[in-house]
Formats: sequence, structure tokens, C-alpha cells
Amino acid sequence: MTFLEIISILVRGAGFTILVTFACILTGLFSGLLAALLFRLDIRPLNWLLHAFTYAFRGIPLLVVLFLVFFGLPSIGLPIPPLLAMMLSLGLICGAYLSEVFRGALKAVDPNEIMVAQSMGMHRIQILISIEIPQMLRFSAPGMLNEFTTVLKYSPFAYTVGVPEILKEATSLALTTLRGMEIYLAVGILYFLIYKIMMEMFLWVERHYAIPGFKQI
Amino acid sequence: MTLLQVRNLTKNYDGIGILNGVNFSLHEGEIKVVMGPSGCGKTTLLRCLNRLVEPSSGEIIFDDKDITAADVDIRQVRQRIGFVFQNFALYRHLSALENVKLGLRKLRGLSDAEATQRAIYELSHVEMQDHQDKYPAHLSGGQQQRVAIARALAMDPAVLFFDEPTSALDPLMAREIANLLNRLHAEKVTILCVTHDVTLAKNLPGDVLFLNHGHVEAEAPISELMQNHASENVRAFFEEKAPNA
Repeated sequence: MTFLEIISILVRGAGFTILVTFACILTGLFSGLLAALLFRLDIRPLNWLLHAFTYAFRGIPLLVVLFLVFFGLPSIGLPIPPLLAMMLSLGLICGAYLSEVFRGALKAVDPNEIMVAQSMGMHRIQILISIEIPQMLRFSAPGMLNEFTTVLKYSPFAYTVGVPEILKEATSLALTTLRGMEIYLAVGILYFLIYKIMMEMFLWVERHYAIPGFKQI
Repeated sequence: MTLLQVRNLTKNYDGIGILNGVNFSLHEGEIKVVMGPSGCGKTTLLRCLNRLVEPSSGEIIFDDKDITAADVDIRQVRQRIGFVFQNFALYRHLSALENVKLGLRKLRGLSDAEATQRAIYELSHVEMQDHQDKYPAHLSGGQQQRVAIARALAMDPAVLFFDEPTSALDPLMAREIANLLNRLHAEKVTILCVTHDVTLAKNLPGDVLFLNHGHVEAEAPISELMQNHASENVRAFFEEKAPNA
């Protein structure tokens, strides 16, 4: 078996790796954005809940959360499919970190711009949608890329709940061929390629939506 | 006709009076300048007038309606009051054209084509039509201020508030803004302008409201205030600001 043949077998798992990564990124973006915007409303009891969410999901190891969701919830009558388990663990952990990234970026929006919008008669939601969120997303770009990369690198945990992603394919192959060195080297190359493509796509979007002339300090 | 009447307006922060019973009126088409030493409450007064800062007590009669009343939809009132801030505060993620269009689209409900047409007209009004696609970071201070004025004018306000419109500008740009304010006044735009810039105040035709310790200490044309006014505070202010005047 040549090195190229090994890669061609592993590529079958790459589809699941990409699926898990993007599903978790979308979950993270949605939950992180929602948490950051709810924080912005500054409602005290809600703030406590949001703090509990961010502290818990940042403080508990991914594998613990994943097992709690995948093996724990069925014991109380809530069976969870593997992809959904990844979204509810890795996705929400990503969301907890992103909510902090977004919160910091929201603080970078010039309060004078918000005051101008208020003085024009805009209501809170209009200001959030037209002024705060568009700027916040741009200011969050470096933090988001960092977090997306982390999600990709944690995606092999999907293997533990039975998703046939790259690492699961590699482990099966290594057990039957005993060519671990070449196989795990191929795994590393595939992950790097996915990372590189993801990063280039993200940087293109970031450049495309950059504010002309504006340099963030 | 009186457009704005302020009666016994007060504002306290932590028990400290910033505005201590301000009274004045502004007529349609009039331009009035608010001056006074730093910390006298000029900016607070302006922000109380459209309730960006909630007044502690008093009445603000705008277009025959007390806008401090609980049942007033303040967002509707604000749409009729243009506000140009000291630091321009253009939305930095939007071009000059988009800055002017935003309020027209979101608040006036204009279509994109209608909003664009109106925004280009207002940018032409302040001689910024050639810069409509530039972003705030690519505009000079004076140009940003013009776009901010166009943004306020586009909403067709009954009155325009200016908060220190020249304080962030060099003298040449400040003169341009003074000329623009005069042109707007000639077009019968009602203006209330807060400034500590004596040169600007001298170039504007309206009376000056001299604010000190949160109340109106004098109201008269600037020439009268600068020439041996009865109040020692007024004299001291102008001697410091324009010693050779």
C-alpha cells in the first residue's frame, strides 16, 4: 500500500471531520453570538445564567461534557446521535469562548456611534443589527479564527462517540496494516490541509469585509 | 413661532446640580449659540433636550408638546431633532453615502433607490458628493463633520443641535463649518449650537446663551457680551477666550 493509497482511504473520513467541525463552528457561532447579545442587554438574572454557561463550558474538559451528553443523557431517556452530541459539547464549548470574544469586540464599538444612532431615534435592536453586530464581527475575526482552529483540532474526539472521521479511519487502518508511522503522518497532513483551506477561506472573508482605512489597535 | 421652549430644566448627578433651572426659547429659523466655561453644563443641556440624558425636572416644550412627559414616544421626537456631535461619530464600517442612508432606510422606511437619491442630494448640499464612497477613516475631520451634518439634515429635522462642531478641527476647517452653518441659517434651518469657540460664535448671527453653574447667566448678541458686560463671569470668560477682541 502506497502513501497515496493511505491518504485516499483517510480522505473518506475527512468528510466527517469537516462535517463535525462546521457543525460545531455553527453551533458555537450561534450560541456565542446569542450569549454575547444577551449579555449586552444587561439583565441581571440572565447575566448570572450566561456567566454560569460560559464558566461551566470553559471549565469542564471536552471529553467529560461529550460523555455526559452522549452517555449521560440516554440514561435519563434522551438518546443523542453522535453529531448532535458533538454540537452540544464541542459546539457549546466553542460558543462559551466565542461569547467572550464577542463581548470584548462589542466593547470596541465606539459608544459615540451608538449615541448618534439613539439621537436619530433608532431603537435598541436596530442599533444592534445595523451598527454593533457588523463592527463586532469584524473586530472578532482574529479571536474567531483561533476558536475555529481549536474546534478543528478537537474534532477527533468525535471518534470516541463513533463518528467515522479521519482518526477513526486511521486507527482501523493502522490495526490492520501495522504501518502507524505513515498512517498518522498522513493524518497530520490531512488535518493541516483542512486547517489551511479553512484559514484561507476565513482570511478571504475577513479581507473582503474589512473596514477600509480602519486599523484596529 | 417658538419651536423649543425650556422651562426650569434641572439635571442632578449624585445630588450635584449640573443644570440648575435653565430657561430659554428657540424660534423657528433662529440660530442660538450656547457658551460658557468648561463644566457649566452645555453638553448636558443639549443631551437633556432630546433626552439622551434624562432631565431631573423641568419642561421641554418642543413643537407645543412637553417631551419630558411619560407618554411621549421619545424616539419619534428624536427623529425630528438632528444632532451633530463633537467627534463626528460617523459609523466607521459604512461609507459616507451609507452613513447618510442608514437613517433614511431604517427610520424613514425609504427604498434603497430613494434613500440613495436623498443621501446624494444631502451630500451635495454640504459639498461632499465627490467623497460619497469613501469611508470615515479616509476623510479629513472637516469632511467627516460635513458628512455628519448631511446625515442629520437627511432626516429633515425641525431643529439641528451642534455640540462643539469645531473643537476637533483646525482653524481653516472650522471656518468652513462656520460658513456652512451660516448657509443653513440662511435656508431657515433652526440651529442650537454649543461651542466654546469664540471665533465661531462671532461668525454666527444669533444670540449667545451664556451658561454658568448650570443656569443662564446672560442672553444677548456676542458683541454685547464681549463689551463690558455687567456680569463679572461673562467678562472673565471672554477676556480669557478672546483677550484681544
